[in-house]
Amino acid sequence: MPGAGKRQKRALWIASIPMAVLALSCVYPVFFAINNALKSNKAYILDRLSLAYEPTLANFVQAWTRSHLNEYFINSVVVTVGAVLLLLFVSSISGFALACLRFPYRRLLFAIILASLMIPIQVVLVPFYRTVIALDLVNTRIGLIISYTAFFLPFSVYMMTAFYSGLPRELIEAARIDGARFSQVWWHVMLPLGRPALITLGILNTLYCWNDVLISLLVLQDQRTLMVGIAALRGEYTTNVPLLSAGLVLAAAPIVILYVFFQRQIVSGIAVGAVKG
Amino acid sequence: MRKTTLMVALAALVAASPALAQEITVWDFKSGDPSLAAYFDKVKNDFEVGHKGVTVKYVMQPHDQYYTLLGTALSSNAGPDVFLMNGGALAKSRVPSLLKLDDKAGGLIKTLTGLDEFKGPDGGVYGLPITLQGHVVYYNKKLYKDAGLDPEKPPVTWAELQKVCEAFKAKGKVPCFIMGNKEGYGAEFFLSSIAATSLTAQEQTDFASGKLKWSSPQMKAILQAWVDTGKAGWYEKGANSTAKFMDEYEGFMRGDGANTIGLLSDVAHWKQFGDMLGAENVGAFRHPSPTIAADKTAGEPKIPIAGGIGYGVNKNSKNVDLAVALVEEFAAADPIKVFVASAGVVPANTAVDLSGISSPSLKSIQGWLTTSVAPTAHANSSSEELEEWHRQSQKLLNGETTVDAAAAALDVVQAKVKPQK
Repeated sequence: MPGAGKRQKRALWIASIPMAVLALSCVYPVFFAINNALKSNKAYILDRLSLAYEPTLANFVQAWTRSHLNEYFINSVVVTVGAVLLLLFVSSISGFALACLRFPYRRLLFAIILASLMIPIQVVLVPFYRTVIALDLVNTRIGLIISYTAFFLPFSVYMMTAFYSGLPRELIEAARIDGARFSQVWWHVMLPLGRPALITLGILNTLYCWNDVLISLLVLQDQRTLMVGIAALRGEYTTNVPLLSAGLVLAAAPIVILYVFFQRQIVSGIAVGAVKG
Repeated sequence: MRKTTLMVALAALVAASPALAQEITVWDFKSGDPSLAAYFDKVKNDFEVGHKGVTVKYVMQPHDQYYTLLGTALSSNAGPDVFLMNGGALAKSRVPSLLKLDDKAGGLIKTLTGLDEFKGPDGGVYGLPITLQGHVVYYNKKLYKDAGLDPEKPPVTWAELQKVCEAFKAKGKVPCFIMGNKEGYGAEFFLSSIAATSLTAQEQTDFASGKLKWSSPQMKAILQAWVDTGKAGWYEKGANSTAKFMDEYEGFMRGDGANTIGLLSDVAHWKQFGDMLGAENVGAFRHPSPTIAADKTAGEPKIPIAGGIGYGVNKNSKNVDLAVALVEEFAAADPIKVFVASAGVVPANTAVDLSGISSPSLKSIQGWLTTSVAPTAHANSSSEELEEWHRQSQKLLNGETTVDAAAAALDVVQAKVKPQK
């Protein structure tokens, strides 16, 4: 069937055109940022789209020193890792309880958690800030870890509850008949089964925490996080685009490197989570 | 004995430690800018040398989140000892959280201009301005020469400006004005530039209070000028799609337009344009107006001026006296001189010696500051009026509405926010 093969090849070629355009639209901003990070501000203003004919690393040096990215990077890593681990632990346990255990007002509790998803952060900023001050958590990394956990927990609990609800109850009952306590059921049965959802949740929460500016600005006023440092590179009216691009490249690099190393696990985590969650 | 001495010394050290550890926190949206580092370093160093044991700590916040964070901190009775703010509505809305400075910084206040934007409803001064803000027209001298115009004789009357724009239209290479009216900001600057010469001092006051309507002949003349200049082809195509900050000014710096209504401080000013085009290639003139107010003279246009940015003291600060002293340091002549040289601002402090700066544009501006200033009409408009003006200006430029209809729509908004008895 040489004709059918030819037709298939042509169809593939036709399909590849929009796919290539889509890929280009994703790759071009990365190229734009790297290319402009290598230009001086004057060269950028004179021609925004040209290649960096006289590349310079001055913007990277300035972004590194001005944004104190070295210090801010450590802060971002510590609070993101801390908050994501805490979120995964609390949401997994809560999801298990809400999905698998039977106790009074379970549904009401779940509805309250869901309702809290609808409150924008800006609305609760003042009471939130007062609480942080009262607890003496301003300018502490633990304060930011707890804050992130509080703000991102409702979605995490919702997601884990939805995931665990889809698992067969027989698994829990079998473990209980074998004499396992609820904590053992969670640890030995639900946690391993919940791995795909936890990976997805971990990725989403890592992105939220890593990219947050507002909560971090309020809680960590002395020691900034990376994204606050990057946001500060933007001017009041205008922005030095090459300098900002350099900052963005430096800030995105760790996440991109992580993705390159763990892309198989990340992609499979998202896919499995999407089907089961 | 030695033990007792040691104990006394230790006790003295403990007792003295709060004083040693005194820290004044300053919130701003500028201190991370490398071009301003010399100014901020000078203020900090001079203050710390003059106040032993006191440390100044700058906390720079991203500008787009700045007022949200500041509002949250002040509402929580927390926040910094000293903070930077934009003059006008943004400063006035913070007056309840600010310390009145008239008595504490009276000596310095006498040397400052642009104070009105930092005054409270009681007439007291609640912030010390460090820069002046306003609008002049910057022009590209090379392009003037290319168009057969004398670059050393910029227009001073409306008729002369019309001739300049006709010359650029005839040449057909670049538009007369590069205009960024994407969010209506171009129209904001145009309004203030024309009103500075076409409204009397009393009319400016009446406009600010809502007594002078948008549908008055004086205001309608400004709207008509906006329409006429658009129809006459003064602006580039798609001016309503061009972002003012970034696109318009970057276009001017590339030589894509002959004139632009710029600022005096912060950005889009004499230094920024001079650095890109060469200071000798940039000139400045006062925007002429088609109508001249009764208290103004033809050929002597005025420039709209207002207080730019300034520092205030949080009235809940635990170190009020030190905070006041630091605000005075920020506005003092010596550090401001460094600010002018490195960042290109027009200072609010009249005692600053600018003789060492060679920019011809700055020299012209300095001369006009003493003879040709007027209020900034858009700074005296409410945010609701400005929002409506943004909308109507785009419709006028696109030919989707008439001057009468636009003025009527603006009147409705004005009457709501500034009701008259």
